[in-house]
Amino acid sequence: MSDFHGIIFAYGTVSDLGELVKTRTAASLPFCGRYRLIDFALSSMMNAGVLDVGVIMQRDYQSLLDHIGSGKDWDMGRRIGGLRMLPPFGLPEYHKGDYTGTIEALNAVSTYIRELRAKYIVMVQGNVAANLDLKAAMRRHIESGAEITAICTERTPEYRHHRYVVDADGFARHMIFNQTVGGEGLASLEAYIISKELLVSMMDACAAANHYHFHRDAIAAYLASGGKVGVYLHPGYARRIMSLETYFDASMDMLKPECRAELFPKERPVRTKSHEDVSTYYGEGAFVTNSLISDGSIIEGEVKNCVLSSDVRIAKGAKIENCILMRGCNIGEGVILNSVIADKYSRVSPYQTLMGSEKLPIVIPKNSKI
Amino acid sequence: MKKSCIAMLLAGGQGSRLYALTQNVAKPNMPFGGKYRIIDFPLSNCANSGIDTVGVLTQYRPLRLNSYIGGGQPWDLDSADGGVFILPPYQTAGENGSWFSGTANAIYQNMGFIEMYDPDNVLILSGDHIYKMDYAKMLREHIDRDAACTIAVLQVSMEDATRFGIMNLGEDGYVSEFEEKPKQPKSDLASMGIYIFNWKKLRKYLIEDENDPTSSKDFGKNIIPNMLRAGEKLWPYRFDGYWRDVGTITSLWDANMDMLSTTLINLYDPEWPIRSRPVGMPPHYAGKDARIVHSIVTEGCVIEGNVENSVLSNSAYVGKDATVLYSVLMPGAVIEDGATVEYAIIGENTVVKAGAHVGAAPDGSEGWGVATCGPDIEIRKGAQVPAGAMIYKSEEV
Repeated sequence: MSDFHGIIFAYGTVSDLGELVKTRTAASLPFCGRYRLIDFALSSMMNAGVLDVGVIMQRDYQSLLDHIGSGKDWDMGRRIGGLRMLPPFGLPEYHKGDYTGTIEALNAVSTYIRELRAKYIVMVQGNVAANLDLKAAMRRHIESGAEITAICTERTPEYRHHRYVVDADGFARHMIFNQTVGGEGLASLEAYIISKELLVSMMDACAAANHYHFHRDAIAAYLASGGKVGVYLHPGYARRIMSLETYFDASMDMLKPECRAELFPKERPVRTKSHEDVSTYYGEGAFVTNSLISDGSIIEGEVKNCVLSSDVRIAKGAKIENCILMRGCNIGEGVILNSVIADKYSRVSPYQTLMGSEKLPIVIPKNSKI
Repeated sequence: MKKSCIAMLLAGGQGSRLYALTQNVAKPNMPFGGKYRIIDFPLSNCANSGIDTVGVLTQYRPLRLNSYIGGGQPWDLDSADGGVFILPPYQTAGENGSWFSGTANAIYQNMGFIEMYDPDNVLILSGDHIYKMDYAKMLREHIDRDAACTIAVLQVSMEDATRFGIMNLGEDGYVSEFEEKPKQPKSDLASMGIYIFNWKKLRKYLIEDENDPTSSKDFGKNIIPNMLRAGEKLWPYRFDGYWRDVGTITSLWDANMDMLSTTLINLYDPEWPIRSRPVGMPPHYAGKDARIVHSIVTEGCVIEGNVENSVLSNSAYVGKDATVLYSVLMPGAVIEDGATVEYAIIGENTVVKAGAHVGAAPDGSEGWGVATCGPDIEIRKGAQVPAGAMIYKSEEV
């Protein structure tokens, strides 16, 4: 049995993602063609040999359940241990609404956490596009002797985030909350390695005081009482998908070879649910440049600066630019799209034109017909 | 547990007429059509036809094939009371064991496996055909016609009939005569090498054939003629879909080119998916100056150059100003900047270095053919590989 147990937070309702999260959680949002955001968390765990993983979810999790299944695509469909889905236990007190913070989410599954026999817990957010080298982070955690290690990035997430100010000894001294721009310290990816004992004592202390937040309440109190937070610097690509704009921007990042190399390194492959897809066919009139194309599509038109999921159809004479098309989209003849995010199975009838902008892409909701 | 029908898939052949391509892998494990291995077709047909027990007989270089098939999960063949089983030649107490000496001998040596399932019928398949076929339909006809053996047949041109095993039918519609590669064919119904046998009967003929020292222990040459002579009922099951034997370089290249046409074989049909073991690569990337026309491209590819009328398997790379025409790139093939590949098959992980030129367009000459570069080799910078060449090793060019 591994000393490490994984927890993935997939409960987040991220309202700034608008229509895209109407039928799903942010963690099950399609990303980079064939993937869902949670694939990165699951694959990071898998590649570090952490195969006992609990996924905390709260609502709108049908698409998440459908995607993850038994967990076998990440080697987590085990007879002993493996993947556990953790929806709310149905106690009335947890029906008050969305989980306010990470600690509330953990306390909602506190029996599960308490019964774990692993010594360390690895906690990762389900809506971060990052290929974390958790093996290196776990090694750092053990070597440093810290009770808790925060995984941070030197880059600046443009969304609201917390920052750690790190001392010369490599431990964090204090935190700066709710930053939206760069500045002092390192940005937290809200991924942690923590001893099970410390986590349970934090959960208890917060529950007693009606506190819900991991950073604002638990970590702040721990630092104030003289606790040391180790820091592991994740060197590669990392984006937390919190709004339509970051989603669009991060998707466009995937067209850059250096970003793809960081997110899909050979030694840490990203796994996803496998579909029975065929190769993609390019027709006589196809003209596709600077785009990522998933399998199973048939392309007869023009595609530029786009990210296409599987099973997309683009008819003759269509011109698609700066778009994200999810699985099963069907784009009719002569359609012109610019800066559009088309959710799964949407259909655009021939000769329609839709023009969004990079800052405000147009979203076509799932299954809709235009 | 008793089964109505189990399948035995003959996957032991080397595919020696594929030369360099099958140096290290068995033919059924040959990448095909961008996304597949040849064996995906019969395995998917089994899964789609509801046949849940498949024995795969392996012999020549089986290691990669074994690991490819694994537990059979990609084809949903990992079922509790069936599954897919690799059956290599083996030894028994007191005997030395031997290699499979013919198709019939391979089944003979694995009678013990078949009997574990006590099936009414046994479906015999080859690991080197490209087609979509509902074996359940064939099984229904086999049962309805009370046949000892049902043979799938395909109508071919009279010209082609000289290259196949040809079935001549009696007035009742049953097979009356079987001729292997007849010079003067009497019928145009060619055997596809797909048989359903009544197991009890097949068992008897296998044992008899095994005891015949003059027999070459082959279904087409021995078992079928013996059954005909004994007056057994042999029923032809007519198949009119796409079917190709991919035993030679030309036929392998041709069949790959066929994959560019959905009217020949529709792989996008959700009702009959051809499944394969996922390789799990990111979507493919078409670069800023890429030009891809009338081609299929698969996950993990990066294309910066020109691709026309070609089949690209996963993780192939086409560099800037490189050109790939009427060619098949197997998984991981790399065509460096400025290189040209035309009318060629490039093996797995083979690198065509910058400025090299492989193959040429048909010029009407007799010596023309598809150029082939074996797997894991390097075609050096600026090298010229002529049409029809067969490259086994990097040093050859």
